[in-house]
Amino acid sequence: MAESDDTAPDLDAVSERKGLRALVNTLLVETRSVMPAAGATGLSLVLVIAAMCFLASLALGAALSVAHVTAGWTSDLSGAITIEVKQSNEMSSDEQVRAILYILSDTKGVKSARALTKEDVTALLEPWLGAGNVTDDLPLPHLIDVRIDANAPPDLIALSDAISMAAPGAVLDTHRQWQAQLLHAARAAEFLAYAVLLVVTATTIAIITFATRAGLSANREVVEVLHLTGARDKFIAAEVQRHFLHLGFRGGLIGLVLSVATFLLLGLQSGGTAGEPSLFMLPVSGLRLGDYPALIGVPVAAALVAVLTARITVMRTLHRLL
Amino acid sequence: MRYGMGPEVLRDVSFHLAPGSFHFLTGPSGAGKTSLLKLMFMASRPSRGLITMFGRDIATLPRDELPDLRRRVGVVFQEFRLLDHLTTYENVALPLKIQGRTEASYRADVRELLAWVGLGERMQARPPTLSGGEKQRAAIARAVVAQPDLLLADEPTGNVDPEMGKRLLRLFMELNRLGTSILIATHDQALVSEAGAPELVLKGGRLTVRG
Ligand SMILES: Nc1ncnc2c1ncn2[C@@H]1O[C@H](COP(=O)(O)OP(=O)(O)O)[C@@H](O)[C@H]1O
Ligand SMILES: [Mg+2]
Repeated sequence: MAESDDTAPDLDAVSERKGLRALVNTLLVETRSVMPAAGATGLSLVLVIAAMCFLASLALGAALSVAHVTAGWTSDLSGAITIEVKQSNEMSSDEQVRAILYILSDTKGVKSARALTKEDVTALLEPWLGAGNVTDDLPLPHLIDVRIDANAPPDLIALSDAISMAAPGAVLDTHRQWQAQLLHAARAAEFLAYAVLLVVTATTIAIITFATRAGLSANREVVEVLHLTGARDKFIAAEVQRHFLHLGFRGGLIGLVLSVATFLLLGLQSGGTAGEPSLFMLPVSGLRLGDYPALIGVPVAAALVAVLTARITVMRTLHRLL
Repeated sequence: MRYGMGPEVLRDVSFHLAPGSFHFLTGPSGAGKTSLLKLMFMASRPSRGLITMFGRDIATLPRDELPDLRRRVGVVFQEFRLLDHLTTYENVALPLKIQGRTEASYRADVRELLAWVGLGERMQARPPTLSGGEKQRAAIARAVVAQPDLLLADEPTGNVDPEMGKRLLRLFMELNRLGTSILIATHDQALVSEAGAPELVLKGGRLTVRG
């Protein structure tokens, strides 16, 4: 309020007068709000928000680097794959092939599919078995040659499942299947990272709701005096919000700094050559310079979440008072 | 009115304060002076009866219209109710800040008022470090700073020496001259006779007017 007098506290004087505690308080907790800074709750809240933002940044960073890595993998998935149709007691080979071709014609990312003729297969095998040795009674597998779109490859796992369902005995044979599986795992990790982000956000909202309620009930007297002086709920909410804006942003910054330090440390450890560092077995060095601005969004989001939560909580709580 | 399931504290109370009037509210301790003021600044609602403030029935007033009415009423609480985490200056400026005024628009006025009540040197002190009399003067300054239409003061001279009591009475009279209606609850008979204003006497839950 008294801006001219002490909005810009002399930090040196403060630290001399009251020591480190006061300095920490000034930097982290003091918010110049008409609502009290809730003392020790202020500092612990900053630390909790810092921890939450640290986790959130790690999760976001992991999600981003996994996305980069899988983008690389996906573009590797180019060219051809082969489906091997083994003979089955349930269907004739022709039926199997027809069923598979039908599925392939309906699958996104498949450019073309062609069943190899008996002559094609014989030609493929003769180099190994010797000319003329491929006789009619040899149980030859039918093969289907599939060309896939490298830019938008099909979901190989789903395709493989669909094929073996439609045609028992058919096997999607690709040397890249391991990569598809890894891709699958990576997607799961990405999903997991976003889930962590969601849980962290929900937890933060819960903590701030709790802290706001505790703050209001600890400051009943202040709230009542403000009301009796003619303050609207909006005014009180704005003062409480200001408090949480500062605490949220400060906590967010601490968390961000810690997480960036963590990512840089992980990147440093890899030393560029000695393989990629990994978090939950997934490479995280994939964090690029362009990703760091996204991480800066974390403290901003933390402050926003803190402000909105506090506002909604205050308005709800106050509405029950006279 | 009554508190919870207790006896009726105020029973037979009927009076009208004309705009710009000056009244004292007297009566023995426990007679219900504070309770009556609480009704008037809308801190509690009457269990029965009609209270009209500025032409509005406050028993049925919607919650979101209370602030506007309360801003027209300045209150000196018996227990002061200053905000301990704010400076004296911030406490006194609070009603203006709540009304949405910028600090630049009121800084000089607040300082002047604080100097007038003898708190010029204590502006940056926090209430816990003030003496009883200083707190009382800060509470009075906060109540009058926004020049309300009605000033309700609960024992406003209970903690100051007679000299300061007279000085504060002059502040109230000055405010009254500028158009504020004033109701001062007190058992300080010297103050009442000094001002020579009519007296509302509370006794046994009933109110009589004297003078
Ligand atoms: N918050 C309360 N709860 C219950 N009883 C109360 C409360 N405040 C006051 N009373 C009772 O109401 C009566 C009037 O009190 P009060 O209005 O404070 O009187 P005064 O201000 O004239 O001394 C007293 O008997 C007191 O015990
Ligand atoms: Mg009283």
